[in-house]
Amino acid sequence: MDFDPSTDRRVVGTARVPGGAPKKAPVPVKIIVAGGFGVGKTTTVGAISEIAPLTTEAEMTSESVGIDDPGQATMKTGTTVAMDFGVLTIDQTLKLYIFGTPGQTRFAFMWDDLVKGALGALVVVDTNRIDDCYPAVDYFERAGLPFVVGVNTFNGQLSYNLDEVRWALAVREDVPVISFDARFRGSVRDALLVVLDQALDKAIRMKSS
Amino acid sequence: MTYPDPDDPVPPARPGVRPFLQSGPQHSTGGYTPTGEHPPVEASTNSLRPFVITSGRTDGGDPDIGMETQVTVVPGAPPSRLSPETRAIVALCEESPISVAEISARLRLHLGVCRILVGDLRAAGQLDVHVLDNDTPDPETIMRVIRGLRSIN
Repeated sequence: MDFDPSTDRRVVGTARVPGGAPKKAPVPVKIIVAGGFGVGKTTTVGAISEIAPLTTEAEMTSESVGIDDPGQATMKTGTTVAMDFGVLTIDQTLKLYIFGTPGQTRFAFMWDDLVKGALGALVVVDTNRIDDCYPAVDYFERAGLPFVVGVNTFNGQLSYNLDEVRWALAVREDVPVISFDARFRGSVRDALLVVLDQALDKAIRMKSS
Repeated sequence: MTYPDPDDPVPPARPGVRPFLQSGPQHSTGGYTPTGEHPPVEASTNSLRPFVITSGRTDGGDPDIGMETQVTVVPGAPPSRLSPETRAIVALCEESPISVAEISARLRLHLGVCRILVGDLRAAGQLDVHVLDNDTPDPETIMRVIRGLRSIN
């Protein structure tokens, strides 16, 4: 059966097209938005997503927490964390997922799953609480994931300038430190484009090696 | 480039040194070990026991099934007896390809639970799980994302 892809192929009149879902699933890619509590991760995700951000709950499982450490034997109970994410359809065959991850150290268990296959990460920073982003920066450095430090200017001003933020974070010279406004789609788009630029650099390096 | 002078009065909320810079180089990558801060040990009053749905399994989820992994129904799959949760998953996937994270969010199922159930349904021949061949994104795909993002306003 041949359908015009520009029409909704799931529904013809009131009847569902036999065969149900289109066979071809889009290729999913993802970008991580990380940072401390309340720095604007969900705002960032919501600004760029074509759907209202969805929330999924992830359970911390027993093997995720220092199971080899006898001192931590009591940590087996589950802790649930909420994670917001959004979607942006690039075209029929490509979908971008943007995951906002809880950035606190104690939630780091989730990150291994999260960064697998990710293009890169945007670390959102509130200059009044720079320390909050340290776990995220540490993690992405160690995981070798391309990342960009994005200082959220939600008050329209920065308590520190970008050079000072770079100094405080001690990130490598090639890690971009930028400012953006999480409330505005264009600003978030530009921040994500910087992340993608870093991702492209890495992908090209890996392909040529 | 201006750096804060160490003799200046301490600015508000002056950042400390990043923890890993203090502790010296770490050799392992990934497998992040939380240090210092641990989640509060919750009393055994968890109101939600999500893993009851999975018959107590908390692992066994296919590591290939990521949060963004796309899932579709297998056309013409033989009818089988499904639990309410798995039936709901199949019904969602009938609409259009959907990611595991979206299934989790829309059915309010824990992500871990969702992954296990999707793995079960895949094994039962009800769902196709579209695992990507290459784990690392290729430059062409990234270029397409860049072009796509640039075109929005």
